[in-house]
Amino acid sequence: MSRWIALGLRSGVRTTRYPSHADPEAEIAPSAVIADLAALTPAQAAEVADLCPTSAITIEGDRERGGIAFDAGQCVMCGRCVRAFPGAFAFSPHPEVAVRSRGNLRVAAHWAGGSTPAVDAAAAELKLRSQRLFRRSLHIRHVDAGSCNGCESELQLLGSPEYDLHRLGLFFTPTPRHADALLVTGVVTRQMEQPLRDTYDAMPGPKIVVAAGVCAIGGGVFEGGFMVNGPLDRILPVDVYVPGCPPTPLALLHGLLVAVGRGAGRYRAGGVSDGD
Amino acid sequence: MTTLRDAAHRLGLAIDGAAATELRFRCAPEAFLGAVTTLAAEAVLADLFAVTGSGPPSLTVVFEAVGEPEWLLLRTQLTGDSFPSLTPATHVASWYEREIHEMHGLQPAGHPALARLRLHDWPVGQPPMRATLDRRLDIGPGVPSVVPIVHGQGVFQLPLGPVRSGPQESGEFLFNSGGEDLVAVSQLLGFKLRVVERLAEGRTVDQALNLAERLAGVSAFSNALAFVQAVERASAINVGARSRAARTLMNELERLHNHFGDISRLADATGLMVAGAQYASLKEDVLRRCAELTRHRYLRGILAVGGLQAPLPAIALQTLRRRLPDWLRRSERLEKLLEETAIFIDRVETTGVLTREYAAPHNLVGPIGRSTGADRDCRRDHPYAAYDQVIFEVLVKSQGDALARLSIRLFEIRQSIRILEQLLESWPESDETAPSDSLATGEALGWSEGAGGETLHWVALTGDGRIARWRARPPAFVNWHPYAEACASGNNLTDYPVIEASFGLSHAEFDR
Repeated sequence: MSRWIALGLRSGVRTTRYPSHADPEAEIAPSAVIADLAALTPAQAAEVADLCPTSAITIEGDRERGGIAFDAGQCVMCGRCVRAFPGAFAFSPHPEVAVRSRGNLRVAAHWAGGSTPAVDAAAAELKLRSQRLFRRSLHIRHVDAGSCNGCESELQLLGSPEYDLHRLGLFFTPTPRHADALLVTGVVTRQMEQPLRDTYDAMPGPKIVVAAGVCAIGGGVFEGGFMVNGPLDRILPVDVYVPGCPPTPLALLHGLLVAVGRGAGRYRAGGVSDGD
Repeated sequence: MTTLRDAAHRLGLAIDGAAATELRFRCAPEAFLGAVTTLAAEAVLADLFAVTGSGPPSLTVVFEAVGEPEWLLLRTQLTGDSFPSLTPATHVASWYEREIHEMHGLQPAGHPALARLRLHDWPVGQPPMRATLDRRLDIGPGVPSVVPIVHGQGVFQLPLGPVRSGPQESGEFLFNSGGEDLVAVSQLLGFKLRVVERLAEGRTVDQALNLAERLAGVSAFSNALAFVQAVERASAINVGARSRAARTLMNELERLHNHFGDISRLADATGLMVAGAQYASLKEDVLRRCAELTRHRYLRGILAVGGLQAPLPAIALQTLRRRLPDWLRRSERLEKLLEETAIFIDRVETTGVLTREYAAPHNLVGPIGRSTGADRDCRRDHPYAAYDQVIFEVLVKSQGDALARLSIRLFEIRQSIRILEQLLESWPESDETAPSDSLATGEALGWSEGAGGETLHWVALTGDGRIARWRARPPAFVNWHPYAEACASGNNLTDYPVIEASFGLSHAEFDR
């Protein structure tokens, strides 16, 4: 056993310095796409909407009065739009892509006017009291409500030496009774809705709900499936949305920090802002 | 003449078209049971699926023979919704028939245990693959499924799941125990059922490819590769040399991150936290190289019909090449330490045993199959992509315990690195042929060897490049079948986490 301890010590510190320092890994494995929709002509817009495998890029209305909309909450990061129209779509170089309001993941442009971010007026404000309560330590209950297991793979890696979520006071807990936050992955299938509701009800208040991955946020490629009861915010009140397919470990760390008020949800589908 | 051709000839099966290394036959429904029983005795039944829709339902069985590159597909057109069950004569057909029964509403007459496989509270008479369900509101009140339990003096039940204690996939297990020993394990799967194959119907091939990439996350590439190869074979599309090499490379990278991840969880399950962290670190390193190559850690969004969405960047390939000796050195050092850690070996040796005799009729695949004497590996038996140009070995063991499964994964890690070295040594400069992407009406089987084992996808395309039907048979479907038995055979309750980690079975792949 001493040899294992020696090996562990010899390996040195591999842990990211995020969030106090930027992590170069964020640019290599992007966490979201950002869109400059005004750069597209109506014809290009129609072409890119056709390329998109989900409803992340949609055309609204006709060529005169219509427009194009981008929804990062439905973007599965397939990269087709980025490769075809690099002037209008780009991978975000930042891992800070979690937001508190679903509307902040959307942006729209109209042929008649300029780009207007579709900001949700009734933004879901996280309760300040619970933010203060969980600031130093957050116990997370994870529920897989019908994922592909990509999200679980990334969540498991949060415990690896590279990310080590415990250093930030974040812990997965095996019981809903000890949980402050419910982290949900997957589309919420018909057969997982009840176990998910039961878990939420078993948690003491105040409680935070985090939707991780586009399946939980909007359904992604499974949107509208007859076995899909989601998206999650149709079933539970969601406080933080972490986009991605799956969300990168850095994006998940940021999302959890946003949930406890230690990070700002600066991501906007049309570019970064000062915070929400 | 090969085993499969010979058997088909003796049975007098009618030829039903063919593709490269894919023999297609058909027979009358009355002759189906006899033909399948004969073939299953000489060859391996690798898949059994139904196609229902506008026309009369049909059943297709996929066979392969050990050491032969060919596949044999035998199809029969049913006249009604009932057919004689293959299960009494061919055990492996059992779960396939249960799936056909609940998803397509066909009746395998004489099936000895026709319980539900994945549907829980589902109304009778609305098979998901067949009923016209547009919205979930269409689904009426259901009939609950039943989980069998063991009765007896002192026997109690301990449930686990569906929501698990850590960040794990959802599935429910019921431990029937007398105190320490596991008498029997009952499982309830299907919580994550999304009916992925049905969702693809009518979508374009490119949209369906995105679904195939999301059938499962850690095996995204091998599933998508089998799907894409099925489409390419159905439309007779050739793939260039460099794309074939890149596909092989990514197939091996996916195997590496899966094996590193599975061993990490096994080490954690035995309480060996340093080993768990070291292997997780290796997995993370592989995922980062994947992201450098494709901008996606799980290799999504890179495959395209006829090749790749974009060539792999040369700089990332060079970085990968420089990392290989480091991966080999680190994993060999860890392997040696694991072997010399007696408390670890004690936990995995003779734990979760799947005997050769019990496993054999299940036609298991991947490291789980190879740990029980099943000498099957698609990369060697049915070479695809660039596997005919690389040299590697396949390890087969017969102990069938957690240690054997671990040994095979450790061996395959070294072989994967060896394959990557060979590929990068002679990386093709270009594809040499212009990619063609003219989709044609047709159907074909595609396959790949994922980290979990043989992955089969069958597609039927319509003329305008859309999916008419798609059948996915990921490795987890086969390997879940004997899982409960492996849990119960002489193990204690505390062995369960070790057994689960040593199998590393995917719920998403099974539930679909």
